[in-house]
Amino acid sequence: MSEENGHVGLILVSHSAKLAEGLADLLSQVAGPAVRIVTTAGAVDGSLGTNGGAVLEAMQRAAADGGAVVLVDLGSSILAVRAALAELSDEELAHVAVADAPLVEGAVSAAVAASTGCTLEEAVRAAEEARVVTKL
Amino acid sequence: MSSPSSELVERSVRLPDGVALHARPAGALVRAAAAFAADVHVSANGRRANAKSILDVLALGAEGGAELRIDASGEDAVAAAEHLVLLVPELV
Repeated sequence: MSEENGHVGLILVSHSAKLAEGLADLLSQVAGPAVRIVTTAGAVDGSLGTNGGAVLEAMQRAAADGGAVVLVDLGSSILAVRAALAELSDEELAHVAVADAPLVEGAVSAAVAASTGCTLEEAVRAAEEARVVTKL
Repeated sequence: MSSPSSELVERSVRLPDGVALHARPAGALVRAAAAFAADVHVSANGRRANAKSILDVLALGAEGGAELRIDASGEDAVAAAEHLVLLVPELV
């Protein structure tokens, strides 16, 4: 159960390690230290890109440890996430969900929701609210 | 009308000088509001935000020293509003 280890976590999938690490810093400021933020960003050699193996490993680890909502930047990050989802068991799929949301706003919204002890479904919904909340 | 749950509880509180409702303080406010069952809103600059939505609260753009209006309705509305009135001056 997701309550076992406390809060639902976040997996940030990005082409850029700097982007993901900067966002993770922001999230820990907004949501506090209780929410686990995992980044899988950049290619295997550290250049811009995605690493499907790392994405899969992060998802499997999260599935066994409280669950996580996955946020992606764009393009091949989404392909890497789709490929990883196809490798997960039904049991793992019950604990990992991808949010169709803008990366920064969706992650901020999901992280704050997760910090309040919400369920995986509620964290995904919080992330996807970012699609309709205006900035200005 | 006698039931507290049917009433909108309203309070005003000022942000500390120099503490805008940016990421960290806004997160603290939203996490506090989320602990209550009541519907809670916070208003500033002529906008009213769902106090349980971080994106909504960030979009208020409330600057340090700004007057915030808190309104709450629901079973623990009084407790929610009063908790936020105590919390806001302590935001850093």
